[in-house]
Amino acid sequence: MSALASFKNVFHGLSPEQGEMRLTHNGLAWQGSDTKKVVTVTKESMRAAQWTRVARGFQLRLLLSSDKRRETFDGFEREDHEKLAHICKQHWELSLETREMSYRGWNWGEYDIQSDDLAFLVATKPLFEIPLTSIANSNIAGKTEVSLEFLNPEQLKPDPAAPKRRRAGDELVEMRFYVPGTVERDEGKE
Amino acid sequence: DKDGKDGKQSFKRYASYKGELALPKEVEDLRIHVDRRSRTVLLPVYGYAVPFHINAIKNANKSNEGDFTYLRINFQTPGQIAGKKEDTPFEDPDKTFIRSVTYRSADAARFDNLCRQITDLKKEVAKLEAEKRDKMD
Repeated sequence: MSALASFKNVFHGLSPEQGEMRLTHNGLAWQGSDTKKVVTVTKESMRAAQWTRVARGFQLRLLLSSDKRRETFDGFEREDHEKLAHICKQHWELSLETREMSYRGWNWGEYDIQSDDLAFLVATKPLFEIPLTSIANSNIAGKTEVSLEFLNPEQLKPDPAAPKRRRAGDELVEMRFYVPGTVERDEGKE
Repeated sequence: DKDGKDGKQSFKRYASYKGELALPKEVEDLRIHVDRRSRTVLLPVYGYAVPFHINAIKNANKSNEGDFTYLRINFQTPGQIAGKKEDTPFEDPDKTFIRSVTYRSADAARFDNLCRQITDLKKEVAKLEAEKRDKMD
């Protein structure tokens, strides 16, 4: 099937590897430029499409109907929105919905568990989302304090094979929250 | 009105950015970045570039453990000073607050520099605010 459009320098998920994405009438395929790994998403499996500003440009997020609930692709440019929105609408019968994040710089808001993510909302807009699978440990550190640890045991040791200047970013180790005492203690058991 | 003439400080609203257009380009590295102009520290959190205004930040410190340097940023939250009356005002103390975040890096020099930048920005803004208050009097 001929490609309707293709985009270079697109990241799959949080991976540091860039690749190329090709979009067809039947869905999309992404291929990593180093590993040649291929990720495909069929049109039939797409439930919704979202457009969000992330750190690495813009993100196309596809919510899926299958058990794997979503795929995300970062690295799009602002101008890509029009082309993607058109393909979503004309070929995949989806509207590309823009999600507004919070840029206020506040550290207070509300947390919300949204299926597979812990979202933190500031004045109803998301500040960030953390995949629940990335949380290695959580603790109730006090009557009003909850801590989340993110690195899994194998990540805790330095990897001597990893080049010092690889593209990977700073690693989030821990986040602590002040949660006012409205939650029953029993609910915190994990 | 909100100027706290009774000696008690009131909360002053602040905002880092009006929208995503204002985010600095450096965020694409998924690394911590200090945006002095906007008085904001940007943290990478699972692919997002998350801004925190310097007013929300209490302090930053670092420690070395083995091959890694850890940078911890502490935020202003209610209930931190045990046994002492709080004078830091909050817009909404009943919300959930991010109290601290810790990152690690194998690049000690970069984290040293970031820690210094955050501390300097905090001092600089505190100084400017104090000057502003003096002028108002």
